[in-house]
Amino acid sequence: MRHLALVLIGCCIGCHAAFAQGAPAPEATEWKAAAPATVALNRTPPLYVTDDPAQLEIPSVQMQVLRSATGTFIRLEWADKTHDTTALPKAERTWQGEHLVTQSEATGRFSDACALMISAKPLAGNLNPSLQMGDAAHPVRIYFWDSTRGPAILEATGRETTKRTGQVFPAQGQYAAGKWAVTMQLPDLPPGTPVAVAIWNGSQLDRDGRKYFSIWQPLR
Amino acid sequence: MPEHQISMVLDLNKCLGCQTCTMACKKLWTDGDGMDYMYWNNVETRPGQGYPRNWDRIGGGFENGKLRPSEIPSKEDYGQTFEYNYAERLFQGSGLQTMPNDEVRNTPNWDEDVGALMLGENYYFYLPRLCNHCTNPACLEACPRKAIYKRTEDGIVLVDQERCEGYRYCMKACPYKKIYFNELLGKAQKCIFCYPRIEKGEVNACAKQCPGRLRFVGFLDDPESAVHKLVHVYKVALGLFPEKGTEPNVFYVPPFNPPRTGSYGKSVLEDPRMPMDYLKYLFGGEVVDVIRSLEGELHRAQNGGTSEVLQLLIGRDDQVRYQIPKHEDLVQIQGVRKA
Repeated sequence: MRHLALVLIGCCIGCHAAFAQGAPAPEATEWKAAAPATVALNRTPPLYVTDDPAQLEIPSVQMQVLRSATGTFIRLEWADKTHDTTALPKAERTWQGEHLVTQSEATGRFSDACALMISAKPLAGNLNPSLQMGDAAHPVRIYFWDSTRGPAILEATGRETTKRTGQVFPAQGQYAAGKWAVTMQLPDLPPGTPVAVAIWNGSQLDRDGRKYFSIWQPLR
Repeated sequence: MPEHQISMVLDLNKCLGCQTCTMACKKLWTDGDGMDYMYWNNVETRPGQGYPRNWDRIGGGFENGKLRPSEIPSKEDYGQTFEYNYAERLFQGSGLQTMPNDEVRNTPNWDEDVGALMLGENYYFYLPRLCNHCTNPACLEACPRKAIYKRTEDGIVLVDQERCEGYRYCMKACPYKKIYFNELLGKAQKCIFCYPRIEKGEVNACAKQCPGRLRFVGFLDDPESAVHKLVHVYKVALGLFPEKGTEPNVFYVPPFNPPRTGSYGKSVLEDPRMPMDYLKYLFGGEVVDVIRSLEGELHRAQNGGTSEVLQLLIGRDDQVRYQIPKHEDLVQIQGVRKA
């Protein structure tokens, strides 16, 4: 019966071409059907002695969820006054025919980014993994999207253990009118699955653990 | 702590400012994509702004055992990269002269040979710079990814390109600003002390190509090495900015600072060509003793005596300047300075 229900939902939503391609575009009309939930964000305290404290410029993020047979689709939207992203330079050919790629102004600049963290293993009871990237017994999986470099799947078993898996996932981001909207296609995540959100604001020199984070939220 | 520490001594009295070392390094290591603005080895005119601009005043290193606040230099601080209008000038015959395509506001060694004035006389010298492969690297301390490591076998400090996520805490922490960000790869990159060459017993490309023969390379804990003698026996080579607390392993024989024109016969301390305070700023208070010692050696040689240290500093051939055992022979070195 459950299988049939999923197929029905899949057929219903699958009518839209965007879903067949991966995550629907941030501006796609499908998202109007998904009620947004406001997720409160916190600022990590300065982690290093040389870090300046940062203001809470992004107090919350709006999260929407859609489901289909091909997975769970998440849309995150947050207000960010600064559009911090870099178009990576492409290789050029100089007059001599030599390869040349010139760096942009990015040596001291950081990109806006967001991520969704889930438990990498089925949870036993109500205990969520540590918000600080899980621990050895409670690994986490992180769907990370960077406005300059795009999506990447990461894994971690505690602070300072985060590593790239080499896998990517379908995601799209759009910045318009002072807001970021990012859509992600994730594996099937049943309602109630705990997720945690992180946002990095490039203009606040955010990277690494310097970021905004939410507590664990049950997914709608 | 490493078991052995490779080291370089540069005799600033011999540097011509020709940038051959810079180009040797550039062609060997940093001609890849996203590396155009990087000079792992650079030569800058002193006094001057340096590369990146004002790096010596940005901060970094340690203070009371803790990392000192600092900033990440901007792209313009490193200097612009630009092309010239060669196609227009050489192939189309238009344009009045060969010019950069952009308005140039800063480049590495932007203030070449400008120097400064003291009592109406101009003075300057060249300062070749590379990663100092510090004993106490601030970059390593600052990296939250633990992507930076110091090799046990030779003390070379490297950035693990797999682990690095381009957070740039290392760039901020390095008081010498000798780590660069490759935007295309999203990784921090720096001088690797030519470790693939060193492992084979071959000297660094910058030293190999130096027409001034001013670089000495070897293990600091090898009593037979020139670097050991210059740093620990003759004590004529000093690290840059010792107060920054990272214990650099690249050392400099300071500019001897001869007396000003018309003051021959006077002591350099009596009538120096450049302000001694500037040399103290760069190399610490010990520089006065080093210059006094070099002056003594020079007088001895001028009076018909022999000076072992000056003979060594002449650095006649590779065997005199470089003592680099192949890595499989490293165990043979008996450390006098326990690493």
